[in-house]
Amino acid sequence: MECPSKASLALTGLAVAFLALAMAFHLEIWGRYEPPPALPRVDPSFTNTSTVRTSLAELKRTGGDTSEFACNACHEVGDHARKLRLDEKGSVILPDAHSELVMRHGRSNRNDNCFNCHDEANREMLRTRDGRMLKLEESTMLCASCHGPTYRDWESGIHGRTSGFWKRDLGPIVRKDCADCHDPHAPAFPSVKTAPGPHGLHQKQEKGKFHG
Amino acid sequence: MDRRSFLRTSAVVAAGIAAIAAGLAPLRDLKNFESVEEFLQKHYKELTPEEMKQALERISREVERQYGLRPHVRDLKPMDGVEFAYALNLTRCIGCRKCVHACVAENNQSRNPEIQYIRVLKMPNGTLDMEKGDHNYATESVPEKGFFYMPVQCHQCHNPPCVKVCPVEATWQESDGITVIDYDWCIGCRYCEAACPYWARRFNFTEPSIPRDQVNPNMAYLGNRPRHQGVMEKCHFCIQRTREGKYPACLEVCPTGARKFGNVLDPNSEISQILKNKRVFVLKEEVGTLPRFFYYFDV
Amino acid sequence: MIKNYFRFLLRCARIALVGDWRYHLWLGWLAVICLLGLNAWCKQLVHGLIITGMSDQVSWGVYIANFTFLVGVAAAAVMLVIPVYVYKNKELHDLVIFGELLAVSAIIMCLLFVTVDLGRPDRFWHMIPVIGKFNFPGSMLSWDVIVLNGYLILNLHICGYLLYTQYQGRAPSKWFYIPFVFVGIVWAVSIHTVTAFLYVGLGGRPFWNSAIVGPRFLASAFTAGPALIILALQIIRRTTDYHVTDRALLTLRSIVQVSMLVNVFLLLNEVFKEFYTGDLHASSARYLFLGLHGHHALVPWIWTAIAFNLISMTLLLLPLSRSLRWLDLACVLAIVGIWIEKGMGLVVPGFVPTPLGELVEYTPTLNETLICLGIWAFGLMCYTIFLRMSVPILQGKLSKANETPGEINRVCPAIQSRTATST
Repeated sequence: MECPSKASLALTGLAVAFLALAMAFHLEIWGRYEPPPALPRVDPSFTNTSTVRTSLAELKRTGGDTSEFACNACHEVGDHARKLRLDEKGSVILPDAHSELVMRHGRSNRNDNCFNCHDEANREMLRTRDGRMLKLEESTMLCASCHGPTYRDWESGIHGRTSGFWKRDLGPIVRKDCADCHDPHAPAFPSVKTAPGPHGLHQKQEKGKFHG
Repeated sequence: MDRRSFLRTSAVVAAGIAAIAAGLAPLRDLKNFESVEEFLQKHYKELTPEEMKQALERISREVERQYGLRPHVRDLKPMDGVEFAYALNLTRCIGCRKCVHACVAENNQSRNPEIQYIRVLKMPNGTLDMEKGDHNYATESVPEKGFFYMPVQCHQCHNPPCVKVCPVEATWQESDGITVIDYDWCIGCRYCEAACPYWARRFNFTEPSIPRDQVNPNMAYLGNRPRHQGVMEKCHFCIQRTREGKYPACLEVCPTGARKFGNVLDPNSEISQILKNKRVFVLKEEVGTLPRFFYYFDV
Repeated sequence: MIKNYFRFLLRCARIALVGDWRYHLWLGWLAVICLLGLNAWCKQLVHGLIITGMSDQVSWGVYIANFTFLVGVAAAAVMLVIPVYVYKNKELHDLVIFGELLAVSAIIMCLLFVTVDLGRPDRFWHMIPVIGKFNFPGSMLSWDVIVLNGYLILNLHICGYLLYTQYQGRAPSKWFYIPFVFVGIVWAVSIHTVTAFLYVGLGGRPFWNSAIVGPRFLASAFTAGPALIILALQIIRRTTDYHVTDRALLTLRSIVQVSMLVNVFLLLNEVFKEFYTGDLHASSARYLFLGLHGHHALVPWIWTAIAFNLISMTLLLLPLSRSLRWLDLACVLAIVGIWIEKGMGLVVPGFVPTPLGELVEYTPTLNETLICLGIWAFGLMCYTIFLRMSVPILQGKLSKANETPGEINRVCPAIQSRTATST
């Protein structure tokens, strides 16, 4: 009689186990799915295609405010400059009217002499070393007159952003001028804000743990 | 069998059936049932133009249902005489990660969980050992002195290991060099993800979520149309833009112009000039993948 | 003839439903675990693989780990076949069937593990040649699909044929099984080599891209597989009145002995290669054995596995293990050690660090574990039912001779007194 009673016990046990399992499944006692926590939206400034600054050429193209560049509103044409005041390190001391500028052009500020670029007689004109006069919005050619290799790369589209259409016959290419990225007075490319880094799929979470 | 054991057996069987039914209950929540059409759809390369049109229609309908906008989905073919290549100037990259986020916005990648095709590594000067790279740098501003920044994305290799290993040929390389994925054919085995030496491929571990207002409606079948749970995806050189002659989104947003892209078969393109004149190199050259993605340091 | 075959199948199915209370309890318990796994898999189908611990960085986990281990177990069935058919060892003749039935169960488990790992299991038909697109011979996965399914069919044929002829009470025709047996020997080696090549063929993963992976797979398979068979045979001995000789067990022991020695030797080779030069490619090995940059989740696992393997090897070499108690211990240690080594010790470190040097660790979730347990339970259920059917046939208790129309054969195996263990 050992065989049947143990069998009946086993079967009863199994029936109970299955029912308990059914209840456990129904009540979702474990492994409830929690969707991953919502990540903060990325600031739209990290996806816009604007350059770090805007040149006069760009302002003129887009009809922006160019009042900052009306030098001759204060300076008379033909008015010869006073001698530049230099400090003990040889860096130029900016006049109060232009104190907002940062002068840091060249290593050891070698190129901080205003009149290396600006024409002494007409402040709205730029003058290259070999005497060519350029308008303020034509500053790229002035940069090129010293920065040869960079200009060579810029001309072929390698330096600076070349965007728009790579297939020239399907649409226009968009080039940026030097001053769209580089401040002529402190041309080193500025630091920019870091966009958020990656988030892993199963982040280490102290609260709101999710798992299967 | 006597009555008692019959009843007992029936009780066990009934309880068993109850347990099975309760066990299968989670399937109630199965949403996004693929249509019979999608289930039976053939491989991309075997679709007739008529079938492709129907597939595009189906995708448009699905996107409209899910996101409330009518997208412009098309199947763009590669152009003749075009082979793409990408170059990245490591002197100019400042590690701002704008490319990462522009890519996400352009290509309808899942925000939650996060999928990003581009990964930027912050490397200390003097080494290319990527184990020394920092993926999670969070300095207030970049660049940081003593480091250079190296973004990595799919290199669209000439000899792609991912294409070699896919058991169903869901991924292949097209004539313009882009390695594409047919999202409706992929079975999600993730062998390609294991095979890629550049960790360029991503898997949809769950149904992707994109905020409705951030969906890019200009879509391509092999490109940025929204993917579903269980399939692979990766950078495809913004196929919906580049096959229309435009630059990819990562390049458009780069503030320093560190990224260069174009037709390497055109000797006048920037990319050809770079490959000719700059000292370019590729990552993990010894693996023999022959990437189309070149890095270089500049003046 | 078809009618006879149907009747044979029907009687086999019927006998699977009858048994003593231990049989029903065992199957019931396995059914409970299966249902746990099924429920977990339903959740996975709905929510996706996010409910596992896998990520883009570690994109294969316990599913593929178990798959790899079980392919080895399936391949090891051949270790019974070789002594019987190549060396004409009559002792093990019937045991071949038990080994091959284990192989069939293992292959079923392998196929299930691959299915639960897929992101889109509904698209499995994409792999079928002609109606889908099958990347053969380029993709090693396509080779794996062919060899695994072929091996399944091969073993089902051999077992099925031998059992059916036994049932019919006639001698099997040599041509219907001997050639298949020899094909099976080569095929068994191939299934595991192809599985090894899945890993070896990836140049971007230096931890796997090594010539030693294939030989190691086979050595560990031929250790764990026969060890499992040793344990299974003793269970058969205890729960049925089928006579398994100690000689058979000791023959298997010598197979496990040699294979374990080879396995440990190959491990030493690997460790030397990884650590002696100190080059960058050893990062994954460093992560596994020593921990890397503060991450050391796998270190206790691998050292436990190595300890188990070494203790098992020592026991196997000592005459002590001729005693079944010690042999059983050695077998259990070997199986667990190799399961860890081949599973978590091979699959996961290949992903850590990623090809871009990122360190993300992997822990299986509860759901993932339940699915694994469910599949193991299903495999054990299959094997139990196969044994329940085949033992009476081999003993002659279930045969054409005692077919009676309309009556259910009730076989309640008496509990045998244990055969004295030889010391």
